[in-house]
Amino acid sequence: MTALAVVPVVLATLLIGARGVAAMRTTSDFLVASRRVSPALNAAAVSGEYLSAASFLGVAGLVVKGGVGALWYPVGFTAGYLLMLTLVAAPMRRTGALTVPDFAEARLGSPLLRRLCAVIVLVIGCLYLVPQFTAAGQVLTLVAGAPYWVGVVVAGSVVSVTLALGGMRAATYVQAFQFLLKLLLFAVPAVWLLVAVGPQVRDRALNPVEFTRFADTTPVEFSLDTRILLTEPVTVRIDGREPTQLPAGPRTAEAGSRWEFPAGAAVPRVAGAVVPGSPGWQRPLLDAGSGGAGAGEDGSGDPAGGHALLGTWSVLVATALGTMGLPHVLVRFHTSPDGRSARRTAAITVGFLGTFYLFPAVYGLLGAVLLPELYLSGTTDTVVVALPSRVDPGPLGDLFTALLTAGAFAAFLATSLGLLLAVSGAVAHDLVPTTLRGLRLTPLVAAAVIVLLALPAAHLDVGALVTSAFAVAASTFCPLLVLGIWWRRLTTRGALVGMTVGLVSSAGVMAAGLVAGLGPGVPALLLAQPALWSVPLAFTTMVAVSLRGAPPSGAASAMLRLHLDETRLLPAPR
Amino acid sequence: MSRDGGRAPRRVAVTSPQTRVALAGRRGPPARAPRLAAARLVGAERERAERIRRRQLGRAVTALLAGAGFLVGLPLVLHLAPGLDAVRLLGVPVSWLAVAVLPYPVLSGLAWWQLRRAEAVERGAADGAHDGDGASAAGARVGVDDAPRGAP
Repeated sequence: MTALAVVPVVLATLLIGARGVAAMRTTSDFLVASRRVSPALNAAAVSGEYLSAASFLGVAGLVVKGGVGALWYPVGFTAGYLLMLTLVAAPMRRTGALTVPDFAEARLGSPLLRRLCAVIVLVIGCLYLVPQFTAAGQVLTLVAGAPYWVGVVVAGSVVSVTLALGGMRAATYVQAFQFLLKLLLFAVPAVWLLVAVGPQVRDRALNPVEFTRFADTTPVEFSLDTRILLTEPVTVRIDGREPTQLPAGPRTAEAGSRWEFPAGAAVPRVAGAVVPGSPGWQRPLLDAGSGGAGAGEDGSGDPAGGHALLGTWSVLVATALGTMGLPHVLVRFHTSPDGRSARRTAAITVGFLGTFYLFPAVYGLLGAVLLPELYLSGTTDTVVVALPSRVDPGPLGDLFTALLTAGAFAAFLATSLGLLLAVSGAVAHDLVPTTLRGLRLTPLVAAAVIVLLALPAAHLDVGALVTSAFAVAASTFCPLLVLGIWWRRLTTRGALVGMTVGLVSSAGVMAAGLVAGLGPGVPALLLAQPALWSVPLAFTTMVAVSLRGAPPSGAASAMLRLHLDETRLLPAPR
Repeated sequence: MSRDGGRAPRRVAVTSPQTRVALAGRRGPPARAPRLAAARLVGAERERAERIRRRQLGRAVTALLAGAGFLVGLPLVLHLAPGLDAVRLLGVPVSWLAVAVLPYPVLSGLAWWQLRRAEAVERGAADGAHDGDGASAAGARVGVDDAPRGAP
């Protein structure tokens, strides 16, 4: 029933997308909506595009799993737009480039550099798109019991058809519409929840008690193979079989198994998660591994641990600098008519995002009180959608579940639209230049590939993938943009070597860490959150290599031109 | 937000939508990105660009330092003063408010401040008010193929 809530969102997306068809004539129309978008509309579109499933569902889930410190993630996301405003927005727009690889070629005149950039766009696009489609599948499974692949295929088809029809012009209106939709569908249920839970639960949310005993008979469906530690012998019913007594000690709960714990049983600890309500959970700092890799092996967290500060800083660096280098966000600034309105767009976006990010804390804190068992099953991402029916099992709860499902679907549609557009641009505009007709077909092919990648990824750790996309963006495009815009001595070779080093040290190291497995401690933190060292490394490499060579002729002119405002006689190059 | 920003109207080739569709369909690869270096900045225009860049850089650095100081400092304060967890404002721990609410108005304020300063640089440089350099208003020249299309 609640799944029907998705239908209006999908229909509205397609209808608004169809509106863009009439107006679309050129590559520029398709990729950047002919650059006529006003700052406020564009800021709504940027926010709509940026607020993905990770923001709508993920942050609240991280609070349940990792504690109040997880609220630093949205702070980093928002700070990214301050960086964008300060360093990138206006000059980037003035290059007249259509895509990020275009910017690289416009600034340094190297087709090779352009192709490297296009490849990086593909890497970031895949790391970011797969989790969006995965989330679509999981949410539909949760609320409607639909098979996982249905959600993935529906998301893939709607996004690619909208894009193929309307291109960026369609995407702009769709995303602006979806920002308002998401804000409403997120804020209204949050307020309702706060009122409906009553003073007792509100008080417990603000004075959390460690989750040590199950209050009622609680079924837990493990979504991943999970290492748990039973602190005392416990009698559980596994997959509906006869209750069995398990001795204290470490065990592995298999993915897909369903454990039913009796009321009053001790809650097992989970490796990689902080027990909701524990003192470590309440500290407003990020513990070493709650970003994905594993806090203390016993899951106790370490409130006084020295890594909490380091962990918080590295998340802030990765999210803020990564936001600045996300290709699908950068391309949005090219839809502004000039540099000045691109800068205004960034400023307004900081305010829009700041408003939205006031609400995940509500879901996270209430979820930790009402649904703490999610931290066991590894499905904390569903806390937002699961809360209303926990608070009110009646039709009102159903209604709000439906609203939140629609909002979550809007979130991955909007983000996927932008990402798919950036990926299509990289393939059909930068790697294999083609006609407009080819460009319109590319999203269909790209979406098909992503759907195929997402189908076997049902049980992948979604948060880790998105985090790695940010780290890659921060270690590659961020130095390219900052140095390209502000430093005249940047050379083509410097940019090539620096970005390659950044790509290897971020994506490569994280892949190695995933394969090899990570223990606790500082080395693991630096492998799981490489941005803290990979970004400085990429910057240093880029500068060092550039200093050994001579910049291409005219590079200083190319850089200075980016800082000339449009109020003057010299028109910005288009 | 008119995109011609008050410039004198210029001549443009008028093409019917149908023609544009036809052209877009068979023109082959879409237009490549402009090479910024193709049009060298020279003379007064170059000096003006240098001046704007230098001022923008200075202001960008102060804004970044302010933002970074806030974002590095706030976790540090929360780490060094765990007592803030026990202090409550309207029942909510102050240290939670410092993460969940405080950063957003601060970041918005910084963004607004930096936006105004960045636009002021461009306005100031355009008027020549802070330049002591009247040449910048008239002496613009550009080289090679990018003729000043919109020159009044």
